[in-house]
Amino acid sequence: MKLNGEQYHDRVTAWLTGFAIFWSLLGMASGVYVAAELVWPTIDFGHEWLSYGRLRNLHTNTVIFGFGISALMATAFYSVQRTCHVPLFAPRLAWFCALGWQAGMLGGGISLLAGWNGGKEYAELEWPFDIAIAVIWISFAIVFFGTIAKRRIQPIYVSNWFYGALIIVVAMLHIVNSLAIPVTWSKSYSLFAGTQDAVVQWWYGHNAVGFLLTGGFLGMLYYFLPKHADRPIWSYRLSIIAFWAFTYSYIWAGPHHLHYNAVPEWVQSLGMVMSLVLLAPSWATLVNGVMTVAGAWEKLRTDPALKFIVLSLAFYGLATFEGPMMAIKSVNVVSHFTDWTIGHVHSGALGWNALITFGTFYFLLPRLVGAELYSTRLANWHFWLALAGVMLYVLAMWGAGVSQGLLWLSLDEIGELSYSFKDIMASMKPYYALRMVAGFTFFAGAVLMAFNLWMTAKGRRIVCIAPPPPVREGA
Amino acid sequence: MHARLLVLTPWHFVRLMIRPSDAGACLASAAPETSAVLLRLVIPLSLVPPLLAYIGGAVFGWHLGGGTPLYISPAGLTLISLGYFVALITGFLSTAAVASWMADTYGAKREYGTHLAFVVLVGMPVILASVGHLAPHAFVNMIVLIPALIWSLYLLYRCLPAALGTSPERGMLMASSLVAYLLVAGVSLLGITVVLWTGGIGPTLGV
Repeated sequence: MKLNGEQYHDRVTAWLTGFAIFWSLLGMASGVYVAAELVWPTIDFGHEWLSYGRLRNLHTNTVIFGFGISALMATAFYSVQRTCHVPLFAPRLAWFCALGWQAGMLGGGISLLAGWNGGKEYAELEWPFDIAIAVIWISFAIVFFGTIAKRRIQPIYVSNWFYGALIIVVAMLHIVNSLAIPVTWSKSYSLFAGTQDAVVQWWYGHNAVGFLLTGGFLGMLYYFLPKHADRPIWSYRLSIIAFWAFTYSYIWAGPHHLHYNAVPEWVQSLGMVMSLVLLAPSWATLVNGVMTVAGAWEKLRTDPALKFIVLSLAFYGLATFEGPMMAIKSVNVVSHFTDWTIGHVHSGALGWNALITFGTFYFLLPRLVGAELYSTRLANWHFWLALAGVMLYVLAMWGAGVSQGLLWLSLDEIGELSYSFKDIMASMKPYYALRMVAGFTFFAGAVLMAFNLWMTAKGRRIVCIAPPPPVREGA
Repeated sequence: MHARLLVLTPWHFVRLMIRPSDAGACLASAAPETSAVLLRLVIPLSLVPPLLAYIGGAVFGWHLGGGTPLYISPAGLTLISLGYFVALITGFLSTAAVASWMADTYGAKREYGTHLAFVVLVGMPVILASVGHLAPHAFVNMIVLIPALIWSLYLLYRCLPAALGTSPERGMLMASSLVAYLLVAGVSLLGITVVLWTGGIGPTLGV
């Protein structure tokens, strides 16, 4: 039944889902290519556009911002309408936001390949793109909070708290960290310098991990897991406590990226302590997720997507434990600047972010087009390829990282370094080959998903769904 | 082979490991005593990897990837092997305890002895892969360990429902929860090892 002709705006979600899948394939393919360049350094063929220094940035930007943000926008737009029982506020602005983001990503990706680079990790895009991102992000905020403001049910569901935190904090981080003085169209200099620059950069960097890759995707989890499981979240109270504890503690943890650097000792120690505190809210969500899914085991018979969410919770548990552990200074002395960190990042990015998104897409797209998933068998193959890929990746990087850390710290009897940096890196080739195989395996699974979802949606229209009628007072 | 008769010997568990279709039913039909599993399986099997690691480390030295191998003193090697043994015992017992603790949630049997025997079955490929310690090169050991871990994961998912008496769907969820525990336990062990190493147990690191 339509209420005053109202319908949910799901076409924008469907398009964003498609864009997210496109960026995931491009991002993972470029990741596999740069992994191959670490095994065979000459496969850039002397062309700067194919060089490691440019392709690596394309990889990180396309997977985090292209794939991750598109998926978060898609799921935020889908879920905020259903949890507020109203269509999107300013739907044209939502389209501007969705398409503008893709244009920004496309232009940004090309600019990175062309060598435009602001020099800040995970914030490499130059100032014209930074301004465009800020404008689009504010549009996202207007659509999202506008929808919440006109909601027809009083409580604001917990997924919206997480999506809201994502929008507010990322706006704050992006604008502050991108403050710069432009000198040409392709070059600017940061307003911050020296250690202040480092502290601001890792305040940005770590909270992008926190509020985008953790908080944003927790919003996805809190909406789509109960939908998958067809039952409410195990403890709603725990989810709210976890949200506020998470929001309070995450913002302080950035300095653990600067251990043993030229920032004050107390700043490093504060970062370490707050990272350890962070374990409690992170695992509160883990418990909530595991207990919610534990009661929904019958759904596994009919819903291949639920397996992805179950596995994503396992890797969420690993990544949110490993992070605080690596923030401990006596562990960090070995792990920092090694491939252990790369393994940690990918246990989170592949094991948690990608798997929960894949599980959500397998749930979402068939519902958007009103069809069954094209092939459950392909989805099952995807699951095993993803598990194998992420496990191989993590193991390879653990092996490489711990070896690097210990060898770099080894001193001979007269106190000189036992091993040269060059020799250590040359010996890493087998690990890098294994990582390349792992990445390709994971990528192959994503290709299967893209094909499966394409065949599911091919030739179908988006199903029109109206919000439920408002509940009258006293009815 | 009499699939339904559980014999608490390492050799029998090796045979179960390569016949996973029988292994779950075999474990389900028995209710082994915890002490028997501990004495006949857990302790003897936990001695194997540290012993092999000691021999490999003493004879060839560890290649972590750099030029010359790292030779650790006999006292250091003994301490590391002892720590390895304690870690393995702790790993077997704690994983079985976690599995037994989870049992109610997933509708599985609660008997600790059965859980411990199941954990031994799952861990058997990794124990056998420790033969790689005789060639103490970090990457060689990883290459040997990866197929063993894949087989262990396969045994975990394949045999858990039958062995612990739950449905395949709940078994899948319980196996995934155990994977989460094992990943966290694994990375904790890595962290503890690094802290001990930088604390002076192992070659001098100058920190």
